[in-house]
Amino acid sequence: IMLKGMTRLISSVHKLDPGRFLHIGTQAPQCLAAHLDNQVATESPRAISRTSENDPAKHGEQHEGQHYNISFQDLKTVFSHGLPPRFVMQVKTFNEACLMVRRPALELLHYLKNTNFAHPAVRYVFYGEKGTGKTLSLCHSIHFCAKQDWLILHIPDAHLWVKNCRDLLQSTYNKQRFDQPLEASTWLKNFKTANEHFLSQIKVQEKYVWNKRESTEKGSPLGEVVEQGIMRVRNATDAVGIVLKELKRQSSSGIFRLLVAVDGVNALWGRTTLKREDKSPIAPEELAFIYNLRKMVKNDWQGGAIVLTVSQTGSLFKPRKAYLPQELLGKEGFDALDPFIPILVSNYNPKEFESCIHYYLENNWLQHEKAHTEEGKKELLFLSNRNPGQLERLCAYL
Amino acid sequence: MAASAVTTVRGWSGLLLGVRSVVLRLPGLTQVRWSRYGPEYQDPQIDKGYYRKPLAALTEEEKYERELRKTQVIKAAPATRTSSVFEDPVISKFTNMMMKGGNKILARSLMTQTLEAVKRKQFEKYHAASPEEQATIERNPYTIFHQALKNCEPVIGLVSILKGGHFYQVPVPLADRRRRFLAMKWMITECREKKHRRMLMPEKLSQELLEAFHNRGPVIKRKHDTHKMAEANRALAHYRWW
Repeated sequence: IMLKGMTRLISSVHKLDPGRFLHIGTQAPQCLAAHLDNQVATESPRAISRTSENDPAKHGEQHEGQHYNISFQDLKTVFSHGLPPRFVMQVKTFNEACLMVRRPALELLHYLKNTNFAHPAVRYVFYGEKGTGKTLSLCHSIHFCAKQDWLILHIPDAHLWVKNCRDLLQSTYNKQRFDQPLEASTWLKNFKTANEHFLSQIKVQEKYVWNKRESTEKGSPLGEVVEQGIMRVRNATDAVGIVLKELKRQSSSGIFRLLVAVDGVNALWGRTTLKREDKSPIAPEELAFIYNLRKMVKNDWQGGAIVLTVSQTGSLFKPRKAYLPQELLGKEGFDALDPFIPILVSNYNPKEFESCIHYYLENNWLQHEKAHTEEGKKELLFLSNRNPGQLERLCAYL
Repeated sequence: MAASAVTTVRGWSGLLLGVRSVVLRLPGLTQVRWSRYGPEYQDPQIDKGYYRKPLAALTEEEKYERELRKTQVIKAAPATRTSSVFEDPVISKFTNMMMKGGNKILARSLMTQTLEAVKRKQFEKYHAASPEEQATIERNPYTIFHQALKNCEPVIGLVSILKGGHFYQVPVPLADRRRRFLAMKWMITECREKKHRRMLMPEKLSQELLEAFHNRGPVIKRKHDTHKMAEANRALAHYRWW
C-alpha cells in the first residue's frame, strides 16, 4: 500500500500514469527526457513539419515526417535528371526543395551505413502503389550517397529507353544490337555534371578504338570517354557501355564506392514498343544500353550498393493495379534480381499527413479559405486516402 | 377552367403522380426550360451543418420545419452537387459550360489545371516582387476567378427586335443570371477561338483570367464594345415593350 501510495504521489508530480512508471523503473530519466521533448514539440508547432538537419547522414527516427532542405547546389549537380516532374514544378514554385524524411528511406540509409564493401553489392528494391513516394525515397538515398562522396550512377527512368525512341541505329560494336544516340548523350551530360570530380581520378584500363581516327589510350581518365560520347553522338551508347564496364571493374579496388540507382527497373525485363524497319518488335536485350545495364544490376561486383525501384507508371503492357515486384518484373526479371531486399513504400501515416499539410500551409500553398479548417483537412484526408501523389495533385488547385 | 383541366389530366395518369403535364401559359411567352417535378417538390438540403445540429439547439420554427420536411416529397439531388466544403457553384457552372459532348471528366481536369496554372503564375510573381508589392498580389485562384468573371459582366445588353421587317439591336437591361452567363460564355469562346493551335486550354484560360482580373484583355474589350453599341443605339430603346 505504501508503494502504491508512493507511485501515485510521484506520478501525480511527474504527470505520468502509474502503470508506466512501474514498468519503466531504471529508465525513468530517459522517460522524463522524452516527456520534455514531447512538451517542446507541442509548444513550438512550427517545428513539426521542418527540420534544420540538412545532412541525410544524420537523419534518424526522430526526424520521421519532417521536411529537410536540399541546397540548390545539390539540385544542379546530383539531381539534374532524377526528380519527378511534379516535384520539379513544386521546387520552382516554392523556391526551395524540401523532401520528407520517411521510414522506407531511413531503413535504406541504415542499411547503406552498415554495408560491408568486401561483400558483393546488395540489391534493394522499393516497391509500392502509385504515388506513394518510391522515386523520392530513391532520391533521398542518392542525396545521402552524394554527401558521403560515393560515385552515383543514376538512371532516372529506365522506361524512357524502351519506348518512344525516334532514332535507332544499328550498333557499331555488335551488329545484332541497337543504339540510342540521343538518350545516351543526354544521360552522359547529366552523369558528367553529377560526378565531375571522379571523372579525372578514374583511369581507363583498356584501349578503346572509336573509329579510324579516334581512340582512347589505356590510362587516360574516364572524363575523356564521356567527352567522346557527348561529342560523337553516334558512339554515345558505346561510351555508356564502356563507362559501366570500367566502373564495375574498378569499384572493388576501393578508390571509390559505387551506387547504382535505377528507377523503373522492370523496364529492363519487360517488352519494348520499339520496332525494326520491317515492323518486327525488338526485345530489350537487343538494345545495347539495356544489355549493359543488366550486367551492372547483377551482384557480381563489390564495393557499393544497388538501389532500384519498380513502378507501373511508365511500364509497358502491365496492368494498372500491379505493384508487387513479382508482378512487375516478370519471371525473367525476378530470377535475374533474385536475392534482393524489398522495401515497401506505403501511404502517409497520420503524422506524416499532418506534417505535409503543415508544410503546404507554411508555404501558403493551400489558398482556399476552407482548406485551413478541420473540415477541409478531413476532406483532404478522405479524398487522397493519405496517398502522397494524390494529395499533392489535390492541393495544387485548392 | 384551366385548373379543372389540369386536375382531370392528373386524374387518369394516376401512376405518374407529381409529374408536370401540359400547363397553360401566357401568350407571347414560350416555355423553354421546364422540369418533370411538380410544384410540390422541395429542393434537397445538401448542407452538412443542417443535419449535424443537435436537437437541443433547434428553435421551435426549425423543429417545425424539419417535421414538415418529413412529409414533403423532395427532388433527387443532382450528381454534381456535393456536400464538400470546397464546392463552388460558379466553378461548377463554368465547368459545365466548358464541357463538350458530356465529357465532364475532361472539363473538370481542365478547370483544375487552369486553377493550378493561375496559382503558379501568381506565386512566381509574388517571389519576384518586392515586399511592398507582395501585399497587393492576390494568390487565391478562386478569388481571381470570381473577380475576373465579375469584371467581365456587362451592365446592359443588346437584343434583336423585329420591327417593320428589320432586326434592330435594342439596348435592354439584363438579369443577373444572364450577365453571369454572358461573362462565362465570352470567356470560353475567346479562349477557344483566339489561341494558337498548339497552346493548351488551361494555359490560355489562366492568361485570360489574370488579364480580366486586372481589367484588361480581350474579354473586357468585348464588354466595353457591347456597352458602346448600347450607348450608340440609345434611340432605339423605346422599341422594347417589357
